[in-house]
Amino acid sequence: MHIYEFLRKDFCIMDLKSQDKERAIREIILDLPEGDKIIDKQKFIQDILERERRGSTGIGHNVAIPHCSCAGVDGFMIAFARSKTGIDFNSLDGDKVNLIFLMGTNPQELNLYLTLLAKLSKLLIQEPVRKELMAAKDSEDVVEIFKKYET
Amino acid sequence: MAIKSIVVSVAGASVSLTTAKYAIYLAKVLQAKLTAIYVVNESLLRELLTSRIFVETEARVYERDLQQQGEVFLERIKKLAEAKGVVCETLLLSGSVHDEVVNKTRELGADILVMGELKEVLSRKETFYDEGERIFREAPCPVLVVKNPQAVEKLYKEL
Repeated sequence: MHIYEFLRKDFCIMDLKSQDKERAIREIILDLPEGDKIIDKQKFIQDILERERRGSTGIGHNVAIPHCSCAGVDGFMIAFARSKTGIDFNSLDGDKVNLIFLMGTNPQELNLYLTLLAKLSKLLIQEPVRKELMAAKDSEDVVEIFKKYET
Repeated sequence: MAIKSIVVSVAGASVSLTTAKYAIYLAKVLQAKLTAIYVVNESLLRELLTSRIFVETEARVYERDLQQQGEVFLERIKKLAEAKGVVCETLLLSGSVHDEVVNKTRELGADILVMGELKEVLSRKETFYDEGERIFREAPCPVLVVKNPQAVEKLYKEL
């Protein structure tokens, strides 16, 4: 099971405009293709924000992984978004977030979701991965970076 | 060596139903005792807590959900076995998946462990960390890896 198998090019946003956490999450979800993977965008936004209220998913190193289990998602999805200026995510280290991986799962796909969530957090600890993601030209590059580090 | 005790390791996905059906087939044909094991991956939840991806309450909710899914899944397997006249004992465990499966298989003195098809492994590192690979390597008895779902479905139906 690999992240790149689930990370679709049309689920990558290379230049996020929002400056704060809540707007960024809304921007990502509303930008994703309609009706595919996300059945109910408003429900998904609500559940992701509810999870953020229980504790920030900004894990440090300029990375955030907002996530939730939500009936508004069909199967499992992962989206990538990059902010060049950085977003205040109330992260553990207090730094702004540039790389966001938003993950959602239907409650039926919990095992897959947990496995990939753990895998993603391990990958993003590596500085070269983060640097390459920051330098990626387009969504194709993003997927290739994961292929490179996952194989 | 007669096969008297079969353990099947399942993980809650549709592929696990195929694995379970083949184990039921074997248990029926060999007149062996069948035990189905489902492990809630508690070590993965702990890892996500430690890396601060999860908050405490969130991890507890996921653990409860996984337990419920495991119970439902094992009940389904029990019924699939009963439908073919096979008694299937079910065990819902919690912890590190490979440790729990390997230890319980040893404890039960199983003659064979049935498991689902292994995932495609693309790097050497992965073979050391993949739960399925580790069960395969560390099992205390012969391991049977189930493939070809269509053929298994046919065997199960004809039973």
